[in-house]
Amino acid sequence: METFWEAFKRHGVSRRDFIKFATTITGMMGLAPSMVPTVVRAMETKPRVPVIWIHGLECTCCSESFIRSATPLASDVVLSMISLEYDDTLSAAAGEPLEEHRKKIMKEYWGNYILAVEGNPPLGEDGMYCIVAGKPFLEHLKESAEGAKAIIAWGSCASWGCVQAAKPNPTTAVPVDKVITNKPIIKVPGCPPIAEVMTGVVMYMVLFDRIPPLDSQGRPKMFYGNRIHDTCYRRAFFNAGQFVERFDDDAARKGWCLYKMGCRGPTTYNQCGSIRWYNGLSYPIQAGHGCIGCAEKDFWDNGPFYERLTNIPVPKQEADADRVGAVAVATAVGGAIVHGVASKLRNSGKKEG
Amino acid sequence: MKRVVVDPVTRIEGHLRIELIVDEKTGRVKDAVSAGTMWRGIELILKGRDPRDAWAFAQRICGVCTSIHAYASVRCVEDALGIKIPKNANYIRNIMYGTLQAHDHTVHFYHLHALDWVSPVEALKADPVATAVLQNKLLEKYGAISELMPDPLGHRAYPRKFPKATPGYFRAFQEKIKKLVESGQLGIFSAHWWDHPDYKLLPPEVHLMAVAHYLNMLDVQREMFIPQVVFGGKNPHPHYIVGGMMCSISMDNMNAPINAEKLAVVEDAIYTQAEAINLFYLIDLLAIGHIYVQKGWTYGGGLAKRRVLGYGEFPDEPYEDIKGGDYHNKILYHSNGVVEDFAKGVDKAKYHPMVGKDFTDPEVIQEFVAHSWYRYPDESKGLHPWEGITEPNYTGPKEGTKTHWKYLDEQGKYSWLKSPRWRGKPCEVGPLARYIVTYTAVKQGHVKPSWMDEMIVRQIDTVSKVLGLPPHVWLPTTVGRTAARGLEAQVGVAANLYFFKKLIDNIKAGDTTVANMEKWEPQKWPREAKGVGITEAPRGALGHWVHIKEGKIANYQCVVPTTWNGSPRDPMGGQGAFEECMKDTVVKVPEKPVEVLKGIHSFDPCLACSTHLYDTEGREIVEVKVQGGLPAC
Repeated sequence: METFWEAFKRHGVSRRDFIKFATTITGMMGLAPSMVPTVVRAMETKPRVPVIWIHGLECTCCSESFIRSATPLASDVVLSMISLEYDDTLSAAAGEPLEEHRKKIMKEYWGNYILAVEGNPPLGEDGMYCIVAGKPFLEHLKESAEGAKAIIAWGSCASWGCVQAAKPNPTTAVPVDKVITNKPIIKVPGCPPIAEVMTGVVMYMVLFDRIPPLDSQGRPKMFYGNRIHDTCYRRAFFNAGQFVERFDDDAARKGWCLYKMGCRGPTTYNQCGSIRWYNGLSYPIQAGHGCIGCAEKDFWDNGPFYERLTNIPVPKQEADADRVGAVAVATAVGGAIVHGVASKLRNSGKKEG
Repeated sequence: MKRVVVDPVTRIEGHLRIELIVDEKTGRVKDAVSAGTMWRGIELILKGRDPRDAWAFAQRICGVCTSIHAYASVRCVEDALGIKIPKNANYIRNIMYGTLQAHDHTVHFYHLHALDWVSPVEALKADPVATAVLQNKLLEKYGAISELMPDPLGHRAYPRKFPKATPGYFRAFQEKIKKLVESGQLGIFSAHWWDHPDYKLLPPEVHLMAVAHYLNMLDVQREMFIPQVVFGGKNPHPHYIVGGMMCSISMDNMNAPINAEKLAVVEDAIYTQAEAINLFYLIDLLAIGHIYVQKGWTYGGGLAKRRVLGYGEFPDEPYEDIKGGDYHNKILYHSNGVVEDFAKGVDKAKYHPMVGKDFTDPEVIQEFVAHSWYRYPDESKGLHPWEGITEPNYTGPKEGTKTHWKYLDEQGKYSWLKSPRWRGKPCEVGPLARYIVTYTAVKQGHVKPSWMDEMIVRQIDTVSKVLGLPPHVWLPTTVGRTAARGLEAQVGVAANLYFFKKLIDNIKAGDTTVANMEKWEPQKWPREAKGVGITEAPRGALGHWVHIKEGKIANYQCVVPTTWNGSPRDPMGGQGAFEECMKDTVVKVPEKPVEVLKGIHSFDPCLACSTHLYDTEGREIVEVKVQGGLPAC
């Protein structure tokens, strides 16, 4: 198999551009600039990793998100960085030849391929609510997981269950880690996940040949370490107690905080506030709608969406959102006072000097 | 006779299996079976929820035609509660919808369909210099198609996305493919029937050009969806609200979701859509389609020859309601109707309008389950969506075991799809259906044509001239189905330019309202209300039916395009459009039915859409076994 650098050379990419690309990727993955040489070295020596991408009960929004990635472009990922050997959405082949190919790839790269799972298996009716090649998807998943190095659970379906697992979960749909327990699973939740988060996870894995550091829930820390609330550009309005009270009111036109409209930003861990969607173009809060918490477990049953947060379960959070808000406001006010005092002192000092 | 199974069918959304009974001597497909192989139950999950949240749940029915189920959902809730949205919200929603059409059709053509027509293996044989010459020739030959798209803005100085016609460009793509082949890691191109004789129909240079554009458009498609990201905050799955849009407009405050800078971003993206469709998509489509038609590829029409159905789209201005009929007074795209026997000629075709009352009439739209894995008390009859029952009744295959199939049982039950019917008859839906209905409605004088209807008629007449065939011959075919989709993508962009201008003009006139919040609080709703939300999804006519009781969803129904097209047989023996299309196709190599894949892909199947769910009654349904049907109205 050829390495990235070889693939890039084939593309006619100069060494200089290759280094530039490696630098961008390093930043994308949330790594310090000092890591650039490591990334370059990894890209020079790593061959393209085979990926088998299977679909259970889902809506394909994860695949659609993946192809929206701009840095890196999905075409570069699919053609030069990984080898996407099986995918319901993009594979040219169909039917038996494709199934045979999947088995061949598994055998050839046993222990070395990545299994990407979009959607989840239903357990009801012996798994026959989702059928692939005349067999339950559940069997397809277990079989494909057998020789995988690691599993990526794309989106909230594979990570948590998502919409088909919302009450009353008619098909008994379950997340991937409920049926595969002997493999490392990287959860990349979101409905869908942000495109550059998806390609960022893939990049990390293929470049460093290891899974990214995960939090206690199995999510890559680099992308799920912050609440949207903490990185939201409207946070200042929350701190100042300036809220939208009704859609399209005066406050909405000023871009004030959507907390009172039911925004789940305070309890949702995702990158919407920082890297945003479409390379920083926007995210739901920027378009004037509260976050619905689509990267969080069971978010469908934590509604209604327009009801202000009060008692929804929040892991590892000291207080409910109201109290967090109150504390934040107090701190902000305190900070302003301290800041005011300091500048007064400075000014008075100047006068004296 | 040979029975051929293709499962999974790839390059679609969701899970689909097809089985063919082929006469090996003639290559004729004698019978065909299409089975939806997934079921999720979204409508069951919607019961008891806040109707203002329904759009978010419904949207997750499909992430490929993302936004369309949210659209149908807010429309049905607004129809139930009597909410009229503001002008700006209507224009913005139309732009979001037109953007979906432009994007979805483009991605379908290149990434889900193109590899049925062109091959990377054949592309290796092409001469890059000759390919560059060919690209220029094709732009000359078919380029006039872009003139059919009106541009009321006229802001683009010159195209930014333009097909490159240099040998170096094509050589780069050829080199990439060559290296993939040599490395032994073919990735997405692995294991396909590239040796099929159909791939010899086109010269190698057409293959190289189209494969280059396949990759080029994979990079460009993301930019086409930018208007949804600006107005809806993300894509896939942008946000909506009942009552209009949440993206407030201000020309004074740059903090507003929509300001002058954001409008410029939207405008630029609309022009990107225009260039991708006019200069890449339509040229490639005409080049490939023309050759196929010349080589006798005029089959695969199937049901489209006999009966098609559409609902209508693009309300020019806000409407009072859908079920009362005002929606159809306001639309620009008059695809609302049923047309029978178009293949006999546009003059001889029978036209039946579809307007407000037809969506609540229990006799017009019904679903049957005789061959679906559901149970009705009387399976010889169909039920209107408001009276439907969903009681799963999985019976297994004809041969094989319950969980390991060999062959499905077309005499019995064989699909997780129901069978929607119009007055008891199967219909094809989708861009082709819409084009047949609109063309017939205009040519027979049933509607006063809007500028959009006129554009569609001009498109059809232009392509008829190029092919040298009348519309009733080339339209109801597999090529025609693929062509109608491309032409409709161009209409989507034309609509975006048109509604963008209306939006700007309205803001200029001082109106910045985007939401009607008068009936936001459930206290202001009637105790009980019912609504219909209809739209034209990229894949065809889509309807949501809601019943709201005491501020909660009492019942929610969706009848979606791929259920119409991919449905199993009805008790009267009528077959859906997939099965009819396959039966109207000849295969050269029975065990490698590329021709059938072309036909199935030409519908752009979306199985998550079609098999989500239908109905239920109100109680706990963890045990789905025994839901009786609650007559919902």
